[in-house]
Amino acid sequence: MKTSAKRWATTTVTLLAASALASACGGGKPAAPAQTAGQDSAKQSAAQEQSGGKQDSSGKAVTLTFWNGFTGPDRPGYENLVKQFNDTHPNMKVTIDISPWDSLLAKLPTSLATGQGPDLAAFDSSLITKYAKSNLILPLDDLYSNGVDQNVLPKSLVSAMKYNNKFYAVPANNATLLLYYNKDLFKAAGLDPNKPPSTWDEWMDAIRKTTKTNGSDKQYGIALADHATIPMWPILVWGNGGNFVSDDNKSSRMTDPKTQEAIKTWSDLVIAGGVSPTNLTGAEADKLFQSGKAAMEMNGPWATGGYTQAGLNYDVAPIPAGPAGKVTLASTVALVAGKNTKNKDAVYEFMKFWVSKDAQAQLSGQTGFPPVRTDLGDDPKLKQNPFVPKFADVANDAKYYLPGLEQYDKIDSDVIVPAIQAITNKKASVDAALKDADKKLNDILQGKN
Amino acid sequence: MNIARKRTSVMNRQKRAAFWFLLPSMSILALFVFWPIADLFWLSFHRWSLLDANHAYAGLANYVKLVHDERFWNAVVRTVYFTAGSVPVGIVLSLALALLANEPLKGMSAFKAIYFLPVISSFAIISIIWSFLLDPDIGLLSYWLKAAGFPASAWLRSTTWAMPAVIAVAIWKNVGFNMVILLAGLQSISASLYEAAKIDGAGALQRFWSVTLPALRQTLLFVVIISVIASFQVFDQVYVMTRGGPLNSTETVVYYIYHHGFELLDMGYASAIAWVLFVVVFLITLLQLRLFRFNETD
Amino acid sequence: MRLSVWRAAQYALLLAAAAAIAFPFIWMVLTSLKPEGEIVRFPPALFPSDWTLDAYVQVWKRIPFLLFFKNSVVFACGVTLISLAFDSMAAYAFARLAFPGKHALFVLVLIALMIPVQVTMIPLFIMLNDWGWIDTYAALIVPRATNAFGIFMLRQFFVGLPKELDEAARIDGCSEFRLYWQIVLPLAKPAVASLAVFHLMYNWNDLLWPLIITNSQEMRTLPAGLALFMGQHVVEYGILTAGAAIATAPLVAAFLSAQKYFVQGVAFTGLKE
Repeated sequence: MKTSAKRWATTTVTLLAASALASACGGGKPAAPAQTAGQDSAKQSAAQEQSGGKQDSSGKAVTLTFWNGFTGPDRPGYENLVKQFNDTHPNMKVTIDISPWDSLLAKLPTSLATGQGPDLAAFDSSLITKYAKSNLILPLDDLYSNGVDQNVLPKSLVSAMKYNNKFYAVPANNATLLLYYNKDLFKAAGLDPNKPPSTWDEWMDAIRKTTKTNGSDKQYGIALADHATIPMWPILVWGNGGNFVSDDNKSSRMTDPKTQEAIKTWSDLVIAGGVSPTNLTGAEADKLFQSGKAAMEMNGPWATGGYTQAGLNYDVAPIPAGPAGKVTLASTVALVAGKNTKNKDAVYEFMKFWVSKDAQAQLSGQTGFPPVRTDLGDDPKLKQNPFVPKFADVANDAKYYLPGLEQYDKIDSDVIVPAIQAITNKKASVDAALKDADKKLNDILQGKN
Repeated sequence: MNIARKRTSVMNRQKRAAFWFLLPSMSILALFVFWPIADLFWLSFHRWSLLDANHAYAGLANYVKLVHDERFWNAVVRTVYFTAGSVPVGIVLSLALALLANEPLKGMSAFKAIYFLPVISSFAIISIIWSFLLDPDIGLLSYWLKAAGFPASAWLRSTTWAMPAVIAVAIWKNVGFNMVILLAGLQSISASLYEAAKIDGAGALQRFWSVTLPALRQTLLFVVIISVIASFQVFDQVYVMTRGGPLNSTETVVYYIYHHGFELLDMGYASAIAWVLFVVVFLITLLQLRLFRFNETD
Repeated sequence: MRLSVWRAAQYALLLAAAAAIAFPFIWMVLTSLKPEGEIVRFPPALFPSDWTLDAYVQVWKRIPFLLFFKNSVVFACGVTLISLAFDSMAAYAFARLAFPGKHALFVLVLIALMIPVQVTMIPLFIMLNDWGWIDTYAALIVPRATNAFGIFMLRQFFVGLPKELDEAARIDGCSEFRLYWQIVLPLAKPAVASLAVFHLMYNWNDLLWPLIITNSQEMRTLPAGLALFMGQHVVEYGILTAGAAIATAPLVAAFLSAQKYFVQGVAFTGLKE
């Protein structure tokens, strides 16, 4: 008994002493690059060994830290790109730290605001306004005038990278949504699996035909997620010519007749037609489509890998055009420069590399995301993945959800999601829910909340 | 005279000893718990966005906003619902399990390990497991329930059933935790107490009421207080299972704090909510200490 | 006869509870043995149609598993050992010593339990950031080196030990430290062992704290490593369940080895009259 307790105590002391020693040694090494004085050089050398034993014999390598949330199956694609940068730039070294977006976004603003934080960071482009307005990230106009050509980016992407007419980011990736449809379920419902719907009328018809509301073999025409998801309802609103906020971001358009009509049409389909479950998350919608319980889904390029692996007989097509024409959602992760970086040149070098033709072709080929530039034409790397060109094709029809709004999160989570859920849960009529949302949204836009 | 002096010297010795025994833990608590709490109190009177290193004085603005915030009051109601649903049932179940596990039966250590399994698994994985099992369309559990003729429910997707489902998972997760504590309490009850009761002719139920429960008082008090405090602070399982939805039907106070602090980056308001929550929990705990006659050690 | 019926009923109850509690884990382990493409499927199936260990191989291949495992061990064991020592010392003072301000100080300890960690996280992060502690083991461990829950729990058990014990010892001239170390602690072994398991599992599973406090892959713990398989849009369920099964195994082992102390309390009950 006693001896085992002693052994435990000894182990603890040894462990503690060892860790203390390790950190003490780290602090004493002169090779630590100046700009990361707060960090432990022992760890850095360990990291170097891991990334393939690259030699920085001069000891003058500039080290950049890069925080992002590229978890999941795409992670190797991003890691490889960073590794490639390190291999081709012997005087620079980027250490990538990947953690889930929610914990990353909890500490990133605090770190930057208190004078620390990474040299490079990535987050959803909707956050640029917040960070730029608080001066936590650097303006990049000089990068765009020398090194990055804005004309090669899709047009909607260019404005998504700006705040107050100044560039604050380069695109780290670019995604558009397409209509995924299950060919087997189309066939079973008497629809032509090689002719996906192209207008709203055809679409609604296909949705109704593939919906089975009766007991045991229940099936949904479409899996329409409303929260914790890539936004899907906005596409329906835009397709009808409606929107949530005015183009100048000054007033609400929740009670605009076109917005109202779109929400009424689709919520009627959901409530009365039972074409989709309500209160669905993105992950749940994906599960329904993957298990053949839903015939269609709007989704981004990330889903193809899993569906193909599951042996699903499916294809993708542009979202059917509504009364107001073709439209889809664009979603972009932005690459930004932390305001406390001491190596702006190296940061620029990395950004230039990231959006370069080669890097984009490689990233796109590996992750299945469309490239962030439109001039890659028929690079063979893009064709490795047959879906990539289809997602790239709709880039010019794609719009961003609530672009340029500082209160993006609040508007989405406190106004729009609750309004749609109130309607689909039959807690309020379309009129009442949207009127209430209209008031709340105007309050937020006018800074009353 | 001599005795009095001896007593004071014992008292002094105890005082000195108490100082050294308490020093490490109290300094750590002071630095890493009380200092941040005090900081939060100060910040709750300020506008504090995580995007900004400066905090403008805001007076009582955060607290005034709170009084008029319907969603906050909804969160309070939901938290009370969660507590009332999970604590009593959870404690009765874990006491029953602890009594059962206290029996000298073969294979008991394996049973105890199984009961403890949910406790040692992380919420991230638990949420994945349960959202798969409870998925109303493709979940194994709902599939079986439907096959057995139970009426279909949308569980986590239903404004009515999401909270009961969250409560059930909370009970499932914590029952082993309380069981282990109660078991440790049961095992330190002297066997001679039971024997004396037996000689007095007390039946099993009587022995439970007159021996087990009173001897378990300190342990039960601990379990009740800890459970109530923890359930007033419930966050993880709501965060991973429902994100407070649908339509805020599972939005608890700490989830709402998280929403403001980490999602909307409004830490000033989040701190104000945290302080109100603290005062409420504090009062409830004091009440419980009274009810259990905490200071009377037998 | 009556006795054996009662016995059978006890076993039936134990088994029913075990089945209900363990079922989700059985599902988890079986899911980890399915090919990824077979997991999301209708009608749902409990058993894989195609058994595979691929998910386990992938966990091993796609994250630096040993590194994360080592960090988890240092973090969780470090916190557990130090916290057990400090918690039990404080609990001893609260339960067995007389000193002025005891009640007030104890209420203060309870207060430490009442502020949700989600709000103290950021002020703590700022403080540790100022000190330059971020990304070190010290920052992970030291703020957790004592725990109000642990103090409270052990205090409750120490209070229950007979008073005559320390009075006799003190008259014999036994020092307070010896009293704590050689008499009180051994008697409270079941409570100390269960607290050890609680500390271990709480820190072993914690995700948010290590993620906030560390900034590099080299310092990440196992849960943070598993979170890498949870993408924003796509979750690899097979790999995640496999990873969870591996990550839980050491805790099951810790629980089983702590169990032998749980029963030991019985042996000492003879002391209490």
